[in-house]
Amino acid sequence: MTVAAGIGYTLLALGPSLSLFIAVIAKKPFLILTLLSSTLVWLISLIVLSGLWRAFLPFKTGSLWPCTLIILTSVAFQEALRPLFWKIYKLEDILDAFADRVSKPRLFITDKMQIALAGGMGHGVAHAVFFCLSLLTPAFGPGTYYVEKCSQMSFFLVSAVIALAFVTIHTLSMVIAFNGYAEGNKVDQYFVPAVHLIAAMLTLVNLAQGGCIIGIPLLYIMALLTMGHCGKMVWRRLTEIRSRQGSSF
Amino acid sequence: MADLISLLLFVLCCFACFRLSFSDSGQANSFESVPDLENSMYIHIDGYPCVRLLNLSGEIGCSNPGREKVVAPIVRYKSADELLESAAILVSIYEFEILLSRLSKDSDFAGKVAGVLVESRTEVSDGLKGFSPDGKFPQAEFAPYNSKNFEWNPTGSGIMWMAYNFPVFLLSETSTSILQEVVMKNEKTKKFNTENVAEFDVVMQTTKSGTHDSDSCLKEETCLPLGGYSVWSALPPINILSSQKSKPVILAITSMDSASFFRDKSLGADSPISGLITLLAAVDALSHLDGLDELNKQLVFVVLTGESWGYLGSRRFLLEADEHSDSVRDLNLAMTETVMEIGSVGKGLSNGIKTFYSHTTGATWAMNETWHALQRAQDSLKTESIKISMASKSNPGVPPSSLMTFLRKKSHISGVVLEDFDTSFTNKFYHSHLDDLSNVNSSAIVAAASLVARTLYLLASDQNASAINAINVNASLVKELLGCLLNCDPGLSCKLVKHYISPSETCPSHYVGVVLGEPSALPYPAYVSDVSRFVWNFLADKTSISSRNTSSACPKDCKGVGELCIREEADGKGVCIISTTRYVPAYSTRLKYESGSWTVLPYNSSDDMSAVDPVWTESNWDTISLRVYKVQNAAYDGLILLLGIVVTVLTYLLILITSTFIRKALKRD
Repeated sequence: MTVAAGIGYTLLALGPSLSLFIAVIAKKPFLILTLLSSTLVWLISLIVLSGLWRAFLPFKTGSLWPCTLIILTSVAFQEALRPLFWKIYKLEDILDAFADRVSKPRLFITDKMQIALAGGMGHGVAHAVFFCLSLLTPAFGPGTYYVEKCSQMSFFLVSAVIALAFVTIHTLSMVIAFNGYAEGNKVDQYFVPAVHLIAAMLTLVNLAQGGCIIGIPLLYIMALLTMGHCGKMVWRRLTEIRSRQGSSF
Repeated sequence: MADLISLLLFVLCCFACFRLSFSDSGQANSFESVPDLENSMYIHIDGYPCVRLLNLSGEIGCSNPGREKVVAPIVRYKSADELLESAAILVSIYEFEILLSRLSKDSDFAGKVAGVLVESRTEVSDGLKGFSPDGKFPQAEFAPYNSKNFEWNPTGSGIMWMAYNFPVFLLSETSTSILQEVVMKNEKTKKFNTENVAEFDVVMQTTKSGTHDSDSCLKEETCLPLGGYSVWSALPPINILSSQKSKPVILAITSMDSASFFRDKSLGADSPISGLITLLAAVDALSHLDGLDELNKQLVFVVLTGESWGYLGSRRFLLEADEHSDSVRDLNLAMTETVMEIGSVGKGLSNGIKTFYSHTTGATWAMNETWHALQRAQDSLKTESIKISMASKSNPGVPPSSLMTFLRKKSHISGVVLEDFDTSFTNKFYHSHLDDLSNVNSSAIVAAASLVARTLYLLASDQNASAINAINVNASLVKELLGCLLNCDPGLSCKLVKHYISPSETCPSHYVGVVLGEPSALPYPAYVSDVSRFVWNFLADKTSISSRNTSSACPKDCKGVGELCIREEADGKGVCIISTTRYVPAYSTRLKYESGSWTVLPYNSSDDMSAVDPVWTESNWDTISLRVYKVQNAAYDGLILLLGIVVTVLTYLLILITSTFIRKALKRD
């Protein structure tokens, strides 16, 4: 492969995050801080998980039950962290108080969603860096690698594509989750862990011979599902606000 | 929404049911780190390269054509005719000579060959009759007679003396199977975007610096001259303090270096290591005799190196003897009565009888004496079924051997070469990587050693055969030497070798190598090859008289007259003995080492062999490696880059559209 392919794989996994950063997050310094701290928190969560599981190594890679167990525990841990993360980021109250003091407008719904988006993007970037970028160094050299069980695409292409799907899922999940915690909406609160778990389990399909042809499209269906649900939720909230605005006039 | 989730779960369960048998077959590649992944992507191949050697008129051998690594897809020789672009050709040893001769004739085909990979031979009895990359009369230019067309080596093809502009590697056994698999994969799955390539890194410094002959490359210091250290030893040690008149000398010589197309796989089992082992075993047998001091003649054993590359050892030995230099001090070569050379004797076994041939130079009194001694030795070994015959009179003279240079220098010298062949080599793998342990017979070597030991005793004691039956060769020593010098297991890490030295490598190789540092009679041990150091220690030990200083530290307290410190590396302590064993540098007589660099001396008319001396040098290099990996074609890489850019740009546009939409919907911010 070569530098061109290496850059291509990096852009495939993290390009959309870069676009989101430039378009939305770079404009507001607070969002940049949110993004960085979120990335840090989720990277630490992954390191803690790998530290915990280190004690149980080595086991035969590619064997079904240990992989399932790892995925279940990791997803459970990360989903347990999410409400904690939200509680810390209930800075809205602090920010609102600060805004009152300097007589500036309070946080609007879109501002709160942007904070959630930045938090989610931090999670997604952490995932992409940990699971894809760290493996991409050999992709910049002259050789390539094909896994026996997925001989249609190179290993690096598979990992970049899967990372892209997860970046999308994590970024948008945080928006849904924060809204669910704020509103107390149970559907939203349970939707996010469910999608995370199903998406993670879908990667197990790749263990089968030729499984990646089925697993990856299914993963993208989950990503599109998340995107759809997020869009619906955002639209619902915005129309609520608009109607409230309208009725207040 | 809920319907969608339940549908998804249903689909997932179905797949789980059908795919419960997750196969763990196939590669169980488990990577624990990114370096593991890289090691699995790039397979390092074990091989023996062919390197660039230079002489006064040009180059031979192989090298990368420029400064870059050569990367080419691997194909089999059979499908090489359908080549569209340059490729690395995987060839078996049978097809190797055919391929090389075709390359020199067909320039179109030659342009498509980027590199050659030679498979290792699979079975000993696979029908390969012979393979010899040397010429039909090796080193004919040094012969003391005129018939340079006599075919001593009829199997010879001469391919090792030509220059090739591409890398050639000999694969080890494991690498051969790896590459055969890779080629099969290449042929089976002809994917449009990937192929397995071989990357050769055989960049030679002389190619990079544009020096294409010995003179210029020695000036630019991009090469080093071939050479090493020969060893000579006297039995019993020469007592220089004694007032006795110096005795006539019986010289027993052999050589310890071989050559092959592939630099690091020059074993030379039959030619000449069987001769070396014979000499060492004979010295061991003679060393157990009593009354060696009373012998009428002085026995001197010389083990030469560099003989395959212009008789460097013997020519330098004779030159240093003429100049009475340090390395040949105390040896008066003018008193030489007879020279007995032990050539290839490892194949002298036919129908249970060990047959050897004595090649001589003429019928003088000394020759008759030698022949007489050989016959008496043969008769004393009646139970061993050994037969010694005179070589055919139709031979033009002695076969290619160090004796040729002795004769060129002093034509009146009487000498005999003991070989296992009569009119042409029985060794069908002369100077090839296939002249290995399976090509020699240990009983032939034991027989030759017995013959040589008894003959030397008879010659040295003026045919007084009193103790002849006490001379017995240790057959287990011969077996041990065969295992140490001709096999990788135990190789130079065997007990016998480790008793004397600490070898730098386990697998023995008898390529002479290059001269490191300044050649001198007392070289720095790291500059002397393992086999030379072993031979020096072994001969010193066997020809020694124990010194009165045995218990003292060595070499500090071992500086007395005639005292030597042996086994210094092995124990760290060493043993002090009295022995006359010296190193003699072996390098071309046309080279001189001056203030850190080598210069080629002008042609000296008094040394007529210097006119035909090629002055071999070997190019320097950084690293030599070979690896195999899969590549994608450039179009595919470009496609991936394009895909990444498109995804990024599309996402950016999507985000812009969404944010504009939201803003419009809210009519604020």
